[in-house]
Amino acid sequence: MTPSLVDLAPEYVRGFQAYTPSRPDPVLARQYGVTHLHRLNNNENALGPTPASRAVIADFAPPRAAIYPSGDSYLLRQALGRAFGKDPDRFLVGNGSCEVIASVIKAFCGPGDNIVTADKTFAVYEWVADFSGFQARLAPLRDWGFDPEGMLAAADGRTKIFFVCNPNNPTGTWWDEGRMERFLAAVGGRALVVVDEAYREFVDTPGFPDGMDLLERHPNVVVFRTFSKMYGLAALRVGYLCGAPEVVDLIRRTHVVYSVNTLGQEAARAAVEDDGGHMKATREMVAAAREIVRRACVDLGLEHIGGEGNFLMLRTKLPDTLLYRKLMRRGVMVRTMTGFRFPNWIRVTLGLAPVMEEFTAALAEVLRGA
Amino acid sequence: MNAAMEGILKLELPPEAEFLSVAVAAAEAAGRAFGLGEARVPRLALAVEEFFEYLRREARRDEPLGLTLRRLGPAARAEFRFRAEHLDLRALNYAAGVAPGDGGEMGLVLAARFTDRCRLTLLGKDDVLLAAEVDREYPAAEALRETPKLTPPFTLSEAPTSETLRHAAMLAAGRYPARLCPKGFFNPGRLVDMVEAGLYSALAVTDSGGRPAGLLLWRSPGGQGVLFSGPYVLDPERGPEIGRLLAEGFLARVARTKAVCAVSERPTADLPAEYFEPLGSLFFTAGGEVAEQAAFYRSLREDEGAAVWAHPDLASFLEREYDRLAFMRDILSPDPDEGREREHSLLSTELDLRRGLAVLRPLLGGRDLAENLGRHVEALRREGIPDILFYLDMAWSWQAAMTPALLAAGFTPRLVLPHSGVSDEAVFEHDPQPR
Repeated sequence: MTPSLVDLAPEYVRGFQAYTPSRPDPVLARQYGVTHLHRLNNNENALGPTPASRAVIADFAPPRAAIYPSGDSYLLRQALGRAFGKDPDRFLVGNGSCEVIASVIKAFCGPGDNIVTADKTFAVYEWVADFSGFQARLAPLRDWGFDPEGMLAAADGRTKIFFVCNPNNPTGTWWDEGRMERFLAAVGGRALVVVDEAYREFVDTPGFPDGMDLLERHPNVVVFRTFSKMYGLAALRVGYLCGAPEVVDLIRRTHVVYSVNTLGQEAARAAVEDDGGHMKATREMVAAAREIVRRACVDLGLEHIGGEGNFLMLRTKLPDTLLYRKLMRRGVMVRTMTGFRFPNWIRVTLGLAPVMEEFTAALAEVLRGA
Repeated sequence: MNAAMEGILKLELPPEAEFLSVAVAAAEAAGRAFGLGEARVPRLALAVEEFFEYLRREARRDEPLGLTLRRLGPAARAEFRFRAEHLDLRALNYAAGVAPGDGGEMGLVLAARFTDRCRLTLLGKDDVLLAAEVDREYPAAEALRETPKLTPPFTLSEAPTSETLRHAAMLAAGRYPARLCPKGFFNPGRLVDMVEAGLYSALAVTDSGGRPAGLLLWRSPGGQGVLFSGPYVLDPERGPEIGRLLAEGFLARVARTKAVCAVSERPTADLPAEYFEPLGSLFFTAGGEVAEQAAFYRSLREDEGAAVWAHPDLASFLEREYDRLAFMRDILSPDPDEGREREHSLLSTELDLRRGLAVLRPLLGGRDLAENLGRHVEALRREGIPDILFYLDMAWSWQAAMTPALLAAGFTPRLVLPHSGVSDEAVFEHDPQPR
């Protein structure tokens, strides 16, 4: 018999399970028999984009869709350079930060190499390593946070990259400046340290390390940030990294050009150049929402954890995947945490107060009926 | 030699009578090489002989028969893969040989009877795999009935040693009813071999001295789900703590795999209820008394809803179950004549002789379905199999259209297993005396 086409793929691809994204909201709403769906599953910003970004999006002339974007997000990198006081060539922009994760791994890992991260964090570091044929070594969280000693113990001479999600998605825990510096000193430049700051802009707590400063002292640090969270541009998919020139030069070689669309580049540039009070308003919204959910958790006797970021994680008294279905029937979409290796936990995005009130009411109704 | 290649023998044989002896000799030699004792080698050889004889008569003459003999952990397995383009497949029914006029294909029934497992799988259109397995013999171990003296803290062991597995199995065999214990608990060497071969995955909990305190096993039978057994808690005073450690560890292990769901195969009373959804119960009568076995389920993903095919006769059962379980499904009605284009239907029969259990699955529809179901029930009863289940995959309209025949043959719908097959599966139990 003719060999199967499947056999042409490497074993590490054949054995990998593709991620299945959520179906579009109208499809889900019909299936669950609801007329509205509150998206509390992806940590999007309920306030949407900044006013300046909104203006860019509204003014985008349809004929421009026929023209290729800037292949290396030239003007956006210029804006980032001005905003952070760095050479624009130290920035690399991708189609969301997921793309730059892949670029870094491709640039630094070869056969037999590995990466080290936590077992319960943003899954894409592990996935990209897995489906690229590199081992992902996972250090268990300690006290809900990344464990620096555990990560160092998991590493060996073939470890090329440490991924540290700061603050961590989904627990919201974070390393302060002291812990971060001690970890970087222990790594000692033997491997790259990616500090993923996807939720950095939500943090105003003193002592939170700024990756943009760290990389000036540690040339092996690469910082990831995104426009999908605080800046409300998730649909346009824009993320970026910043690092030492020689590191970014290497990553650029494995990075696909023209992957970021024109509208995304221009909306992101507008957000960088003119925040318009968006960050402050978002932080206030998140703080108010956190209090609503925290109060509900106390009332319902639910364990919960939420440090920084626009999300909070809570432990339920039934399978999270069952709770998801029951909340969906009430028009509320949350993120189940089984896939993050937190069975029976859900993560909820902190958004507008009326929506949070609706979520807590639905949660109470489900749990009291369970 | 890599693990996948270890213990595999492949032959291509012309479908001619003189090659029968080659096939049988290969089965005997491989059976010995794979560790079957002298008493069990003939069972594998008999299966190969009967399969070869049948295929020699029925299969295409212009293609060789592919025979694969492989070591599969504690078993030796013989597989014939062939194209069934012009083959009359009805003889592959387990019950084909028991009714007059069916061609007297007793050989396949014999093969099923003398092997430990026998399975027919359609890999694609006309691409058929016929397989039989014979287990190696392992020394029996005495179940340990004393409660071990354990000291906290308890920790999860992701890769328990063979010694831990053996000890935990013997303790579990002493604490739980036999129907809740895999065969390997009574022959711990078998369990160790199954785990080493990847047929079972295992998680253990150990105490501060490294003594086994709990065990949970699971396997991936090939669908979208994993089937788990346990948790086996070896210190009843620590039941909730150990059960929870095992459940959380298990779910964390399977959460980022291909598995969409976890379904209980042998759930114990120590299963922490808050991690699983009760689906309902099956009733097993092996051993002479009725034992209710609850089925527990756990989605590992967010369910986005789906459409399933279901005959109107099953619709009210499904609507009630789906509503209770909060699974959103569009129920589509099949054409009642769907699957009746062929004269003869074909069912796969998976036998677990130790548990007295037969699981039937439809492979092809046919106009003789009602009679074929009746023949299967009769043949299985005659073999002393008390419990018969029928799994219907609602991904396929032709399977859904089988519902009236199933109900007429004495099968009763008991459970819905979401995502258990290509789509959700409805599990019917043959119930001559409905409870």
